[in-house]
Amino acid sequence: MSSLQLALEGAWKVLAAGLILGAGLPALFAAGIRSLASGGQDQDQRRLRGTAVAYLCFGIVVVGVLLGLTYIVATGFGKTLTFDHAVPTLVDK
Amino acid sequence: MEPAGRGNAHLVTETSVVLILVVITALGFDFTNGFHDTANAMATSIATGALRPKVAVLLSAVLNLIGAFLSVQVALTVTNAVVRLQNPDGTPKPGLLADSGEALLLIVLAGLAGAIVWNVFTWLLGLPSSSSHALFGGLIGAAVAGLGWAGVKWTGDGGKLDGVVGKVLLPAVMSPLIAGLVAAAGTWMIYRITVGVARRFTDAGFRWGQIGSASLVSLAHGTNDAQKTMGVITLALIASGTWTDTGSIPFWVKVSCALAISLGTYLGGWRIIRTLGKGLVEIAPPQGLAAESASAAVILSSSQLGFALSTTQVATGSILGSGVGKPGAQVRWRVAGRMVLAWLITLPAAGLAGALMWWIGDSIGSTAGAVVVFVILLLLTGLMWARSRRTPVDHHNVNDDWQEPSRPKAEVTA
Repeated sequence: MSSLQLALEGAWKVLAAGLILGAGLPALFAAGIRSLASGGQDQDQRRLRGTAVAYLCFGIVVVGVLLGLTYIVATGFGKTLTFDHAVPTLVDK
Repeated sequence: MEPAGRGNAHLVTETSVVLILVVITALGFDFTNGFHDTANAMATSIATGALRPKVAVLLSAVLNLIGAFLSVQVALTVTNAVVRLQNPDGTPKPGLLADSGEALLLIVLAGLAGAIVWNVFTWLLGLPSSSSHALFGGLIGAAVAGLGWAGVKWTGDGGKLDGVVGKVLLPAVMSPLIAGLVAAAGTWMIYRITVGVARRFTDAGFRWGQIGSASLVSLAHGTNDAQKTMGVITLALIASGTWTDTGSIPFWVKVSCALAISLGTYLGGWRIIRTLGKGLVEIAPPQGLAAESASAAVILSSSQLGFALSTTQVATGSILGSGVGKPGAQVRWRVAGRMVLAWLITLPAAGLAGALMWWIGDSIGSTAGAVVVFVILLLLTGLMWARSRRTPVDHHNVNDDWQEPSRPKAEVTA
């Protein structure tokens, strides 16, 4: 396979992962902020729901960030993160 | 430098003088790597006021320090991506080991010196060029000068991405595009989602989002970039016979590299921070969040997928993308054009500087040659620093309104 093909193959994977994590998570974060703000309305029921949705969004974002952190730390120790078993696991590089 | 001499303190040979110069130059490169790249993580947070300038560089410096110490498993084969100085196990090629590795030490010294000169020059112009490209360029230039064209690994063997084309050139073209697309998509979505939401919610939220994502970028930078210098110094130590273990690096190498990159980061390349934070686009908090998240995600996922990207190109591509993605935002394409030009010429320019340094060092020969290379390096960086004092940029004026320098003189004479 030529270098260009290999690079394109790598590039689209990075683009896909980048769009999910690098654009998707911030969008979710923004959705959380929106829900939090809509929680500021007068009705109690609606406020509660808005706040709950907001923290759910923030929770998912935090998990994403923690995965990123784990990956950085693991790389330093010569390990890597795999998603082969659905649950992220650390293995030797 | 105490530590460098420790291994052979009983006998200060000519080689140990060269070795000490290589170590100091490598740490110097690591330092420029730090201040050149502060902007990648922190330009957006500084421009939007999410962090005060001094706090931002301090945070980034601390995270770089931690990141550098996290590099427990350091690859000694960093130069193998582009030049043929080392065997696959990290030991130097036997042909370069005559006279206590003098040939290899001169190539490494000249390469590092070329990389520093280019890094400081682009800093003087406030251009965010890639430090890894400068390092690779310098080494390539010195290797071509010292070993001929065969000393450079241009492409991989077909099985995986390798060599100058696979590890540097192709990713260099693709990474800013990928990062820019991701940041543009993120910015566009964030603005769509938060339209009509009160400022008091968005400002506080995006402030924390920016700080968090910028911190990830800083940490990733510390683990990635400090390693390169650690690998280069250890290679020099092995070549001169001062260190023999290819499975680990000396502890003082790790400590000094971590400190060098972190001090450089703390010094803050304010000129580059200014270009990225104010010059390219006027960054608002949602754009800052989108840009840094895109950078962090692209840097981490590409290193997971074994696709070597330059942090600088990713960060600049992201900031550009955040300008394209914001409805009604203005991108200063003239600044972007200068930046792209710097991306393109970093590798050949650093290569030329590295080759010249090697040629000067080699024509004088042995220890004197290395000393002359080092003195030229000091002179050039000193001159450029002095030139920078005429129009200083620091944490006081980093966020001043951007004025596109008008260049009537150049246009008249052209």
